[in-house]
Amino acid sequence: MRQASVQAGGTITPETRTSTSIDPGGRFITRGQLALRSAYWLASLLTRRGAERPAPMTAGVLRELDALGVGAVRLVAGSALLVGLITVFQVAYQLAPYGAELLSARAIAWFVAREIGPLVVAMLVVARSAAAIAGEFASMSANGEIDALRAMGLDPVKYLVVPKLGALLVALPALTAIAIVLAIVGGWFGTSVVLGFNTALYLEHLHESLAIRDVGVGLAKSVLFAILIALVAADEGLRVERRVSAIGAAATRAVVFCLLGVLAADTLVNVIVYFIPGLT
Amino acid sequence: MTRRVVESTDTGAGVTPRDDVLVVTGLTGPVGQPAIHDVSFSVPRGGIRVVLGAMHSGKSLLLRLILGLQRSLQGRIVIDGTAFDATAPNEEALRRVRRKVGVVFDSSALVSRLTLIENVELPLVEHTHARDGDARSIARELLREVGVHGDGERTPEVVSRLDRRRTALARALILDPVLLLIDEPGHGLDADAAAELDDTLDRLLEHYRCAALICSQEVRYVFRFPDAVSVLAEGSLVDHGNLEQLRHSRNEMVRRLVDRRGAA
Repeated sequence: MRQASVQAGGTITPETRTSTSIDPGGRFITRGQLALRSAYWLASLLTRRGAERPAPMTAGVLRELDALGVGAVRLVAGSALLVGLITVFQVAYQLAPYGAELLSARAIAWFVAREIGPLVVAMLVVARSAAAIAGEFASMSANGEIDALRAMGLDPVKYLVVPKLGALLVALPALTAIAIVLAIVGGWFGTSVVLGFNTALYLEHLHESLAIRDVGVGLAKSVLFAILIALVAADEGLRVERRVSAIGAAATRAVVFCLLGVLAADTLVNVIVYFIPGLT
Repeated sequence: MTRRVVESTDTGAGVTPRDDVLVVTGLTGPVGQPAIHDVSFSVPRGGIRVVLGAMHSGKSLLLRLILGLQRSLQGRIVIDGTAFDATAPNEEALRRVRRKVGVVFDSSALVSRLTLIENVELPLVEHTHARDGDARSIARELLREVGVHGDGERTPEVVSRLDRRRTALARALILDPVLLLIDEPGHGLDADAAAELDDTLDRLLEHYRCAALICSQEVRYVFRFPDAVSVLAEGSLVDHGNLEQLRHSRNEMVRRLVDRRGAA
């Protein structure tokens, strides 16, 4: 049994100190509760009730929009241009034996809008922000900030999760739209400037192959990915024990599960869309 | 300093006919890894109780269990007349109760992304109908009162530890709580800063007249607030009473502790 002793300064200290705290803390909210509370607060933010007391949540959403959205524009724009270029070369290479390189313009528009655009943007945002979200929440948890909010009768989901969720719900579709446009620009650069085809022809193929519903499917996917990334990363950050060493592990888990989640959700949407007439 | 008189024949048993603002009865927890065992005590309205215990004796955990931040295995807690079962606290009751309690955690636990003044006004903005401008000026006034100089527009990372402690105190007091829970008031402070904080604490307790539960490993708090003391060791209360009773404790460790400090 651990004995306590008295120091000259009048402080009791244990004879043997355990390296771990006896008070590890840990999860205070289940995944289901996290999702429900996020939906509730997001709804209250969008309705009048939220608008009447906008200060912390609205300010939070704007701040996060800057960090998670605007901050990612450069990365997404650069990557989308290159992805468009790469895709054109890959497809053109396959079609070259048939003398149909220009058809790559058709492939790229469709594929970029439905698949590559939302998926690449989601992957980039996961790489850039999922670890940051989980790490931030985990360090707040280790520092006792989450407990302090709860002890004041304030819901950490409202102050921490909803701003990130709200920001990603705006940022991801916006970034996806930017990525689709720039990937098509990248594709144009490949076909017209490098492969030497006519720009007007490229635009004509583009116009014929790209339908509004393709862009719609892509943007709908990005909304789904935004919810997934925000909730999975937040859950990983909030569930950690109150130890500093848990922060890195939480960030790693957040990236892994967000990537898997995005790919799984994408697969599911593709399967569903395939079987719904009018969407393919 | 005027000290408020707390009944000296303190049983520490918790169930008393006095007007207690906090009554803890048979608290054991948390679920899974119990480290607090059958703890009972009470804090009368406007009174101050010191829980003295070594590092890892369970002081912080005790506060977390009282606040319902972690679930207990058994026990009952009454805060300002609202009782809840610590094993399955009603979320709504907890929320109501938490508004009446100010908490200062050992790490100060200020929200790092908010400025000092935003930290202080946060409970006010959320729990009252104070307009944003009013909340800001109340928070500014309170920050001045606890001794934080400057405009409060700095974030917690860039201010001194003493200012963080003071800001945490201001945040705990802004809703005019009936009970203040303070974990290790002098945590991480040097002797000068700790003495300054102690003076601030005395002044605030005198002014706000709220009850306080002070958890600390520093024996000096027993001498500052000698009327009601509980000694925690290994998660159990080993003794309780006023300073004089502790001097004659049957527990040798408690006696040694008080004598050593008394002789210093």
